[in-house]
Formats: sequence, structure tokens, C-alpha cells
Amino acid sequence: MINFSQINLVWLPVLPLAVIAIAAMVVLLVGVRVDDEESEGLGWLALATIAIALVLALGIFGQSGIAFAGALAIDSFSAFFELSILITAALTVLMSLDYAGEHRLPGAEYYSLLLFSVLGMMLMAAASDLIVIFIGLETMSIAVYVLAGLLRRDPRSNEAAIKYFLLGAFSTGFLLYGIALIYGATGTIKLVAIHAALTERLLSNPLLLLGLGLMMIGFGFKVAAVPFHMWTPDVYEGAPTPITAFMAVGVKLAAFAGFLRVFMVQLGPASASWTDVMWAIAALTMTAGNVLAIVQSNIKRMLAYSAIAHAGYILVALTAGGPQAGAAILYYLLGYAFTNLGAFAAVVALERRGAAGDEIADYRGLATRQPLMAAAMAIFLLSLTGIPPLVGFVGKFYLFNAAVHRGFVGLAVIGVLNSAASAYYYLSVTVAMYMMEGGLAEETRRSRPGLVAAIAIALIGTVLIGIYPEPYFTAAGNAYQSAMSPEEVHATTAMAP
Amino acid sequence: MTVDFPALTLILVFPALGVLFNLFVGYRAGRGAVSFVGPGVMFAAFAVASVAFYQILVMAPGGALTYTIWGWIEAGKFQTSIGLRVDALSAVMVMIVTGVGALIHLYSVGYMAHDEDFARYFTYLNLFALSMLILVLADNMLLMFVGWEGVGLCSYLLIAFWYTNPEFAYNGRKAFIVTRIGDAGFLLGMFTLVWALSQHGAWSLDFLTLKTHASDIAACTLLGTTAATVAGLLLFLGATGKSAQLPLYVWLPDAMVGPTPVSALIHAATMVTAGVYMIARLNFLFVLAPAALMVVATIGALTAIFAATIALVQPDIKKVLAYSTISQLGYMFLAVGSASFAAGIFHLMTHAFFKGLLFLCAGSVIHALEGEQDMNKMGALRTKLPITFWTMLVATLAISAVPPFSGYFSKDLILEAAYESGHTGLWILGVLTAGLTSFYMFRLIFMTFFGDSRVDHEKEAHLHESPPSMAIPLIALAFLATVGGWVGLPEGLAWGDAFARFLAPVVGDFKPVVVGNPAMLSLVATSLGGIGIIVAYLCYIRLPGLPVILAWRLKGAHQFLLHKWYIDELYNFFVTRPLFWFSNTILDRGIDHFAIDGAVNGAGLTVETTGEAVRRVESGNVQHYAFVYLLGVLGVVAYYIYLVVH
Amino acid sequence: MLTALIFLPLLGALLIMMQSDERTVWNSAFVFSLVPLGLSFYMLWQFKVGEPGYQFVEQDPWIPSLGISYHLGVDGISLFLVILTTLLIAISLLYSGGGDIEKRAREFCFFLLVLETGLLGALLAVDLFLFYVFWEVMLIPMYFLIGIWGHGERVYAALKFVLFTMVGSLLMLVAILYLVFSARQHLEHITFDLPMLYQVPLSTTEARWLFAAFALAFAIKVPMWPVHTWLPDAHTNAPTAGSVILASIMLKMGTYGFLRFAIPLFPEVAVEAIPLFMALAVIGIVYGALVAMIQPDLKRLVAYSSVSHLGFVMLGIFAFNIQGIDGAVYQMLNHGISTGGLFLLVGMIYLRRHTREISEFGGLWKRVPIYAGIFMVVMLSSIGLPGLNGFVGEFLIMLGTFLRLKLAAVFAVIGVILGALYMLWMYERVLFGPITKAVNETIADLNGREIASMVPLIALMLLMGFFPRPLINRIEPSAASLLERVKVAEARLDEQRHHPALAAIAPGALAIGNLKIAVTK
Repeated sequence: MINFSQINLVWLPVLPLAVIAIAAMVVLLVGVRVDDEESEGLGWLALATIAIALVLALGIFGQSGIAFAGALAIDSFSAFFELSILITAALTVLMSLDYAGEHRLPGAEYYSLLLFSVLGMMLMAAASDLIVIFIGLETMSIAVYVLAGLLRRDPRSNEAAIKYFLLGAFSTGFLLYGIALIYGATGTIKLVAIHAALTERLLSNPLLLLGLGLMMIGFGFKVAAVPFHMWTPDVYEGAPTPITAFMAVGVKLAAFAGFLRVFMVQLGPASASWTDVMWAIAALTMTAGNVLAIVQSNIKRMLAYSAIAHAGYILVALTAGGPQAGAAILYYLLGYAFTNLGAFAAVVALERRGAAGDEIADYRGLATRQPLMAAAMAIFLLSLTGIPPLVGFVGKFYLFNAAVHRGFVGLAVIGVLNSAASAYYYLSVTVAMYMMEGGLAEETRRSRPGLVAAIAIALIGTVLIGIYPEPYFTAAGNAYQSAMSPEEVHATTAMAP
Repeated sequence: MTVDFPALTLILVFPALGVLFNLFVGYRAGRGAVSFVGPGVMFAAFAVASVAFYQILVMAPGGALTYTIWGWIEAGKFQTSIGLRVDALSAVMVMIVTGVGALIHLYSVGYMAHDEDFARYFTYLNLFALSMLILVLADNMLLMFVGWEGVGLCSYLLIAFWYTNPEFAYNGRKAFIVTRIGDAGFLLGMFTLVWALSQHGAWSLDFLTLKTHASDIAACTLLGTTAATVAGLLLFLGATGKSAQLPLYVWLPDAMVGPTPVSALIHAATMVTAGVYMIARLNFLFVLAPAALMVVATIGALTAIFAATIALVQPDIKKVLAYSTISQLGYMFLAVGSASFAAGIFHLMTHAFFKGLLFLCAGSVIHALEGEQDMNKMGALRTKLPITFWTMLVATLAISAVPPFSGYFSKDLILEAAYESGHTGLWILGVLTAGLTSFYMFRLIFMTFFGDSRVDHEKEAHLHESPPSMAIPLIALAFLATVGGWVGLPEGLAWGDAFARFLAPVVGDFKPVVVGNPAMLSLVATSLGGIGIIVAYLCYIRLPGLPVILAWRLKGAHQFLLHKWYIDELYNFFVTRPLFWFSNTILDRGIDHFAIDGAVNGAGLTVETTGEAVRRVESGNVQHYAFVYLLGVLGVVAYYIYLVVH
Repeated sequence: MLTALIFLPLLGALLIMMQSDERTVWNSAFVFSLVPLGLSFYMLWQFKVGEPGYQFVEQDPWIPSLGISYHLGVDGISLFLVILTTLLIAISLLYSGGGDIEKRAREFCFFLLVLETGLLGALLAVDLFLFYVFWEVMLIPMYFLIGIWGHGERVYAALKFVLFTMVGSLLMLVAILYLVFSARQHLEHITFDLPMLYQVPLSTTEARWLFAAFALAFAIKVPMWPVHTWLPDAHTNAPTAGSVILASIMLKMGTYGFLRFAIPLFPEVAVEAIPLFMALAVIGIVYGALVAMIQPDLKRLVAYSSVSHLGFVMLGIFAFNIQGIDGAVYQMLNHGISTGGLFLLVGMIYLRRHTREISEFGGLWKRVPIYAGIFMVVMLSSIGLPGLNGFVGEFLIMLGTFLRLKLAAVFAVIGVILGALYMLWMYERVLFGPITKAVNETIADLNGREIASMVPLIALMLLMGFFPRPLINRIEPSAASLLERVKVAEARLDEQRHHPALAAIAPGALAIGNLKIAVTK
């Protein structure tokens, strides 16, 4: 492993970002001459660079400080998120290796855009300055808009791109306006400075409050919180499935990274003025997500709503606030990444050309046709339901634990009732797979090592992180702590477990 | 003085071995082996029992043989063990059960000879003997209850022995359920006793403990009276079930569908008298609960006359005997209810002899007539079945209390006790019953053995007296039915009332309240009995047309009695049907499916319908999305404006 | 050792997935189920009589940052339930191999063994988090067992089963979290360890809410009236083995939960709730019996009989005296044995005729005497005939109830009568009378495998009927130490009732109570 102490600390946080950025361009250049069917090589290239970035990001753990005049934060928080994002990217690439070729996606654009969006995400994770957050968000979003529409022959894909773009632009506006207002109120865009500026007098400043609200809307859109979620099902359904997975996990990770840093960490003192709204949004998001998921017949749409619901669970902890909640959210996102990617990977594996096989009905009798695939899918779904000892359960457990310990029992109750309801639609997929006959047989195609690997990794993560959560949880805890300004750390460690 | 006497276990072991043998190897071993083992184990048990009996005889009064096999249910302070105890009372009972039991087992060998389920029959019969002996030998109420329900089970199994006939199966179940209603009382009675005892730090149901703490139990108040009274009444409820008293007697007549030896053993000689035994066993408790005793006596007397009236007109020979049994049991309860427990047990014994005999004779008749039970299809069997006739006549004289047959002494003692304990009204009932008894019994004799034959001709052809295996028990019981009463002669005559003296240490002496003239009382009763016989003679020998005319003239009354006061119909209409209706319509359909499941599924349905509704908004139309989005924005903004304003 | 006990079945399950041949699957599965069985008997052998506390304790840190530890232990209350579990799983596998399960044998054995792991874990966990994990783990295999190998409305039944239970248990989860939260405030450290949580002083309102949540979760499992309606459906549609495990062990998890968690954690509330729970229990007894009486379907009948029997158990628990609780624990075992046996018997007849409609049978005795005989014994045990196991439990329960609340005992006794009524009637309609349907003429009697799977149960019925002492000796100390807590609570409530002034020092009383427990441990 590289000895980071020799490198000037200033450059350290940039290394992973830089690697990804460069890789993105290289892929684009090399890809020009590569035929769409043989894009696999590009995939491997992307994977390799992601791996390098992963190692570099590991190095950031435990470091602390700020770089680029406070534009970027060097702390375990960003490290944790960058790692999660890179893992997501890696798994996405693994699923795409064959998919891209089979669906004749333009390899060069596909992988480079993927890497670009990863770049944006990591930027958001590391940003400690509203403008950088915005830049990261845009880098990510624009890349993803395009990726969503990359199935050129599939109208649903194009439609998805357009919708996502339109509404996305919409919310970008709100976010930017919010930033502006906050700047107006506090006279700074540096998060730490904003934090310092939050005096009693300022807390009642209408500009600040309105700014808060608008930023909340901006982030809310990215994490698909109700009522800013409407785009989700259509886009998830239309986009190429690996990209759907990428959106469902990566975009959420990045968005929550920003959300957390801005609201829980820096605007923590102002929590009184946003907790109520967040409470309502959380409750709405969970409930709407689950209720709508119940009535879906298409698995991608179902997973879309489930993603909404899960954002809701996370928002519960965000509402509660406090270091426990922060740690819980980080842990939850990590576990959620593995589980959800796994589920989507399974969907990819069972898909036929185009979108056939996306109906839950198509899964009938899968357990007899492909027992292993069915078992894997079942485990992912059970984890999403929150069945112990899988990671989904432990994550929820931490979230609600945090909520209860902050006195948000009501919200926790709504949460558990929701996850009870969610059991219905997750299990109905297992019903199809295990308890029903028929359904169309999958087409026999050459083995897809990448996909299998992706599922295997996701499976291991889902089970392992669930059964032995301690190290990840402590890591998450430290990460969250590291994002907080020293005196706050001091203040909160007193009541931390 | 009590002696540790391990051999008591043998009394149980022998029947138990019989059960195991008949159950597991009976079918393969064949009839020979079964017909040897079945009765054999009973005779063996009888032998051991008589040894024990002898021990008691030679012991000083109040002596007892005990043996504790192992500790049984023990929770907290509550202790109870599987322990046996033979004192004067249980000695008498165990002799009756094993003795009469052995004879009837022997009789069954002949009676069931042609039945395919020979082994199963003896399995049940031995099992019954086992349970009955547990009941009798138990040294605590809980173990007694084991026997108590055990005999109920066997009665159920044996009534339904010919299970292919649905009616038989139904009657078996009816017997079990009705007696179990009584057993519920028994259970609650036990709980009351434990509760009362626990107030005084004694946590046990041993008869000895109960006896020593009897006064404490009487001291506890419960439901505005003493715990003794409450317990007494509850336990008596148990007795009414098992011993077929009002209002729970309904199962006994139907129980007659079982094989006749079963009717003789279970539904005449032994099981049905368990209630009497239980009360005699708990005499110390009941004497402290006069109210309970009064109830016992009254129910007894009423049952006695009530059943007798029904017996007057029944055409089925076994039905007559069944109602007669109920009536006789009524006598026994009248006795114990009058606190003359010795008299009750005395009648229990003599009744075991003569009623057992009557059933066996009836069985022999039925056997000869290949299952015919209707007395209108009998007659003039006197010459065809001599042994049966003479033995049955003896039994009839005994039950009609004709001196010097056994029944005379016991019944006499009961009526005397009833009178002298001040229940004059009950005494009158008793006396009337005596008259009715001798009437319907001789009606039975005359219709069966006298007059001209009404037997179908093909059956007439091969009428035959029963085989020795059946004849021997008849003769033996006839002997007992004759001399069995002599152990309890009136005071001052020869050895006087030896039986009462023998039991006195256990059940205490009878203490008269009012002094009556025994000779007078006895004369009244006996003469009424005589009248009964004469009337029967007139009706069924001299003027055979008379009964028909009477029946036609007094149609209402006759029908009323013939249909047993329509009691079954009443139960059916007021208990059974409503119960089923309630369970079906209200509980199952109403609450379970409609209310609860309705609510649950309703909740699920609402979620789904709302889901469907909200889904409409997901039109796929971006304008709609933007609209909803803006609504959200407005909501948030509005909230903050509100926040700023306040 | 307990770890081995819990996870050996799981190991077996995984190994089975590697088998391919049907026969070997069944045989190896049966063998794998024998291992924990033997182990549990060894545990019984090593179990120290007269010790109220946990034995064979294992405790290792698991998630220290949340005070969650891998804490196992067994005491008198769980001891025999563990053995019952291992035994019945083995029997179910033995029986199911005989043709009751005709498809996907491998997965079946897999799920059954995983289920065993879940059940044993839930019984042996002493840490609330650990318990909850196993508690939820139980659901899934049973869900698959019903859903895949069930009959008729299997999917509906399976989902209903999961959702019903989940709602309850998730609310319990929140309660657990809240309890831990207040533990953290009062004990200065966060812990999910049960004995620790006993010490948490709660305000009456808190305690009431938490008890309600726990009680709901457990009451659904028991199931108590009126949350029992999932049971008939689950039973009717489950495969035989499923019904057996469901009735014999899973339902006990509810009553066990009351004894292990709901009551000792919130003794005051439990005492306050006596009238409510006795009422519900009594309703359950009578209601279950009456509804069972009119069921046309054998399995439904037995299912409702379970509602009635479990009512007895609840009654005994809430009698809160040693007789009642001894009886309740004993009755849990009895019900497990007798109802398990009944479901096996129903399964055997279903296997022959592929119907459970009582009206389809009648007069079978002629054809199947052995079946009839075994059925008779099992039925008698189920209706609590003295001399068989059922009576010991019912008697102690009713005695305890009578000492606590006489009226309840009266109703319980009525339940006993009704119990005999519907059982005998069912038996009569199935086995007595003439053979009405031609198909029944050729019906075959039990084969060796079926008899073998019934024999252990019959033996237990007789043994437990006449020799209850060895069991009660082991149950009683733990039951007593539970009562210890309850008594303290009762005393405290009396204090409050009579001199409210003293209520202030009540927490002290509770602490002393806890101290007592600590000492007895």
C-alpha cells in the first residue's frame, strides 16, 4: 500500500477523483474505435481504474483536514462514501460487461459517462462547500440523464431520459436558489463557516429558512423522497437495468452524502427549523413508497418504489439526527448498496433482450428452473424486507434504534408498520419463484462471469455485513464523527454509546 | 393402626397384565388363551383381595393396609401420591369389584363366545376392572379421580363396543359426556377442598389429611356458606353423573346397548355405585355439611321414585332393569343422605349381587333368544330356561325386598334410616318406590317366563339353556343374592348388624334423630312390596288384557311414562340444539369469519385500493409529475412562511 | 454446547443441499435431526436440578457498541421445550419421508432444519436482540413450508401467517429499542442483555406501553382470542410436518415469550393485566372448543382445539402461583405432544384419502384398527384423561386458577367438558359407525414408519401422565424465581393501593426483588 505520509496532504483527496476523471477520458478516447458488441474490454479498463481509486480512497480513512481552501474535506466521512460509491460503480460495471454488448450500447459513451457520474458522486461526498456540492451534483446528474436514455432503440428509455432531465433541471433550480438564499443569509458558502455563523439570531432569518427548505427539495428529488419522487418508477423502468441499479444506489449514496453533510452535520444547530418538515417527508415517503410498491406488477417498477420506501427509512434517521443516526445511515447505505445491487443484478440476469422478463409473473417457477439464482434473489428480497440476520434487518434496526433513542418513537412505529407491509410485495416475488409453476423459461445464453461475480459479491456483502456488523458500524460511526467540527464531536461523544 | 402392605399393588397388577396381554397378543393368541387370561387375572386379583380383606378382619377395628407406590403430582406445597389404602370400607368394595367382577368375566366368556372382537372385549373389561380398583383403592381424591374417569372411559368403549351401529356409538359418547359434566363438579369440588385446606397450610387431597382437617374445611366460608357444603354439593354433582341420578341419569338407559355382561358389571354392580362409595368415603366431610346431605337424600329419593315410574311400562327387558338400577341407586343416596353410610354401602353390596344377577339372567334370556330384548316377544320360558328362571326369580325376590332375601335387610335399613333421620316425606317416597319396584320386577318375571309364548317360531326351535360358563356365575350370584343380606340382621337378632359394626370405624355410626319402631316400619314397606307383587300377578297372569286396557284408558300417562317423561327431548331442545346453533352461526361465521377476518382482510384491501387509486396519478405524464412536485414545494415553502410569521 | 445444538441443524441443512438422491436426502436429514436430539438429551442429563438460573451459559460480545452479546442459556422453562423441538423435528422428518412430501424433498428438509435452528435459537437466547433475530428467522422457513408444500389456499395462508406475526413482532422490536433506550439512561450503559434489563425502572405508563407491545406480539403467536384467525388457515393448508411444528412448538413461542420476557420485564403491568388476560384466556378456551365442535374439516378442528388448549396455558401463566405456572409449562409440552400426534394422524389419513372432510370418513375402525387405537390414546391425552399427560397439566392449571380467581376455573372446567365433546364426536364420525363410502373399504392400516413416528409420542403421554415429578422438579425452580419477581410487583401494587405515600420507596422494593433474582442466579 502506498505510504501517504510522503504525499502532500493537499493532493491526497484528489487522487481518487483524479484517477476516475482521467480514466473516464481515456475510456472515451480508446472507445472511439471499439465496436459496440466488443465493449467488454472497456469495461475491464473501467473496472481496473475503479479498483485503483478504491485503494487510494482507503488511504483517506483516518485522515482529517480540508483541502483547496476548504472546498474539499479530507475525512473518513468522504472516504466511507467514496468507497461505497466505488463499490457500487464496480458492481455496476460487472453487470454491464455482457449487458452492454448484448444490448449494443455504445461502449465508449457508456463507460465514460458511468465514470463521469462516479466522479460527480465522489465530489459530492467530499465537498465541504455548497458550490462544490452543486458541481458534483450536476456532473453526476447530467451523466446519468444520458445513461438513462442510452437504449436508443427503446422508446421507454428515451422517455425516461427526458423525464428525468426535465424534472432534474427543475430541482437543480431549487437547489441553486436555496444555496443562494443561504449564502445571502450567512454570507458564506463554506459549510464550516455556515455552521459557525448559525447564531440564535440567524436561526429565525427567513432567508436561511427558505434556503433550507429549497435545498431540502433539491436533495429530496435526488433521493426520490415523496412528493418529489414521481419520476422514479418511469425512469427506473425505462433505463438500462444496470443503470437503474446504479441510479437506485449510487445516486442515492451521493445525494445522501450531501444531504447528511449539509443538514445533519453543518445545519445541525438549525435542526429545530427543519425537523418537522423532514418528519412529514419521511413518513410520507415510507408510506407512499410501500403502498404503491404493493400494486406493481413489473419488478423494476416495484424495486423503484421499494427504493423510495428505503429512502424514507433513511430519512427517519435523518429526522432524528445525532451521531447514532448518522452512523446508522452510513451503515444502512452500505448494506443497501450490496442488497439492492444484488437484486438488480438478478433482474439483469433474468432479463431477455429488451425488457421482457421484467414482469413478476415471469419469475414463476424460477426455483425449479434456476434454484441458485432464485435463492440469491430470495435472499436479496428478504434482506430488503428486513429479515435477520441479513444486512437489511440490521440496518433498519440501527435506523429505528437511533430514532427511538432520539425520542422519535412515533416515526419508528410508522417505519416498522411500513416494513411489515413491505413484506407483502417482497414476498410475493418469492411466491412467484417458489410457490407457482409456469412462467417463461430463460433463454440459454453464454455464461456471463461478470454478472455472476456481481451477484456473488453482493450476496457475500448482504450476508456478511449483516451477521457481523460491528466493524462496519464502528467505521460508519467514526466516519460520521470525523465530518463534524471538533467541538461538536466533543459535545456528542458525551452521550454517544 | 395401619400396616404397610405392598401386596396391594398386585390387585392392580393382575388386571393390568390382562390388559397388556389381550391388547398386544390377544388377537394372535386366540380365544382359548384370552378366555383363560381374561377372567383368570380377575380371580387372581380376587384372591389377593380376600387376603387383604382377611387382614382387615383380624386387625383391631379401624385398622388399614396402605402402600404408597410413588409420589405423583407435586407442585409447590401441593403434594399427592399414587398410594393405595384398604380399610373396612374399601375392603368391602374391593371384594365386590373383584368377586362379582370375576364372575361376570367368566360369564362373558360364554356370552361373547361368538363375537369376532373377543380379545378387544376383554381388553376393555380388564381395563375397566383396573380403573375401578384404582378408584376403590386410592388413598387420595386425585388418584380416585383417575379411576373415576378411567371407568367412564371403559364404559364409553364398552357401550360403543359394537361401534358399527352408529346409535351405539352415539350412546357411548353420550354416556361419557354426561358423566364428564358430573366430573367437572368433582374437579371443582377437589379445588374447593385444596383451597380450603391451603388456608390452613395443608396442601393435599389425601383422605386422611382431609379427615383431620374436616373441621377446618367446614370453618372456611365460601359463597356465603361453608366450604364443606360447597365442596359436598360439587362432589355430589360428580356422583349424580357417575351414579345416574337426577338430572344426569339420562345416559344410563341408553348405555344398555352394550353387551349385557357389561351392563351387569359396569352399569349395575360396580361403576354406577362409585358415587355412593365416594360420599361414604368422605362421610366426615358430609356430616359437617347437613345442607349437602339434605340435597343428597332428596335427590336420591326423587330419583328412586321417578325411575321406578318409568320402569313400570318399559317393554324392553334391559330398559326395565336399567331404570330399576337408577331407582335402586336412588335408595343408596337416600341412605347416605340420611347419614347412614353403612346402610348405603350395605345396599350397594346386595344390589351388586341381585342386580348383577338380574342382568346376567336377562343376558341369558337374550342370548337364548338370539338378541331379542322385547318382553312382548317372550313368555313361557320357565320350562325352556330353568336355571335362568330360578336364579332370576331369586334375584327378583331379593330386589322386591322379600325376606329373607338380601335386598330385604338392606332396603329395610335404608328406609328406617330415612325415617329416623327425620325425612318422613322421603321415607314415604321410599316406601312407595318399594311397591312400584316389586310390581315392575314381577311384571318382568311374568311377561318373560309365564303366560303363553310369544317367541318367533324359528327362534323357538333352537331355544337352549346357557352354557356352564354362564350358568355357574348365575348360581353363585343367586346364592349371594339370597344370603348376602344376612351379614346385617336387625339389632338383637343373632349377630345383629355386623356389617355396620364392621364399617363403623370408617363411616361412623348412624345417629337417629327421631326414634321409630323398626318392626312397624319394616312391616309397612314389606306389605307395600307384597301389594306390588299381587297387582303384577293380577295384571299379567290373571287378567292379561288388563294392562292393555289400562294403557288405552290412561293413554296420556302411559305415553308420558313410555317416553320417559320426555326428558331426552327436553335436553335436546334446550341444550344441544342451541349450543350448536350458537357455535356455528354466532362464533364461527359471525365473529371469526365476518368480524375478525373481515377486519384484517379489510385493512389489507384498503391499502391495496388506495395504492390503485394513487397509482392513477402515475400517469407517465411529466406535467402531472411537475404539478405534484410543485405542490410539495408549495407545502414546504408555506411551512417556512408560517414559521417566519410566528 | 448450546451453540452446537443450535447450529448443527443448520450445518445439516447445508450438507443436505449437496445431496441429490431423494432417499439419501431423507435418510441423511433424519440422521442430522437425530444429532441435536441426542445432544438435547445429553443436556437434560447434565442439567442440574434445583437451580433456578440459566445453565450451560455462553456469552461472547457480538455488537459491543450496542451492548449486544451472543448470550445463550437454558433454564427449567426452556429445557423441555428444547427437547420437544428436537424430538418433533426428528419425528416430522421421519414421517414426511414416508410419502407425505412428494416433491422437492431436498428443499423441504433444508427448510425444516433451518426452522429447527430458528426455534432452538429463540428458546436459548438470553439477549433480546439475539432472541429477536431467531424469532424472525423462524418465520421464513415456515412460510416456505406452508407456501410450497401446503394444500389449497397455501399461498394465502403463508402470507397471512407471516404478515400477522410480523406486525406484532415489529412493534415488539420498537418496544425492545425503547426499553434499551431507557436502560441506557438508568444503567449508564446500553445493553440488550435480559437479566440486565430486568433492573430497568420504568414509569407505569412506559411499562404499560412496552408490555402491550410485547404482549401483542406474543399473543398473536399463542394465539389468543381474538388474534387467532391466522391459525386455522395456516394449519389447514400447511403440510403435515408444518402443522406439527407450528402447533407443537411455534405456538409455544408465544407462551414462552410471556414467561421469559413480557412478564419478568414488566411484572407490575402483568399483575395489573391479570383480569384481562384471564378473561381472554377463558374466552379462548370456550370459544375455541365451541368452534372446533362444528368444524367439518379435521385439521381445522384440531387447529381450533389448539386455540382452546393454549387458552389453558395462558390461564395457568396468569394465575401467578406455582401450581399455575408449573401446569402451564407442563401443558405446553402436553399440547406439543398430543396435538403434534393429532396432526400426524390427520396427515396419515389425508395421505390415504386426500381429503380431510370428516363426512368423507366413518367406520374406518374395521379397516385400520391400529390407527384407531393410536388415535384413541392421542385423543384421550388431548382431552386430558387422568393417567395421561394432559391431565397433569390441566389439573395444575385449573388448581392454580382456582386459587387465583374461582370463576375463571369454573369456565376452564366447562372447557374440559367441551373438549371431550368435540374430540369424541370427531372420533366417532371418523372411526365408528358403518363404512359409508366405498373408497374407505380398501384403506390401508399404518405402516412401520408411521407407527414408529407415533410410538415416542404415545410413550411420552403415558410416562408424563404417571411420572410428572422428574419434569416438574426441573421446571419448578425457574418458575419459582419468576414468581419471585411477580410477588414483589404484587406487593408493590398493594403498597400503592393501600398507602400511596409509600409508593415512593417502591422502586427500592423492586430493586430488592431484582437483587433476590441475582442471588438466586
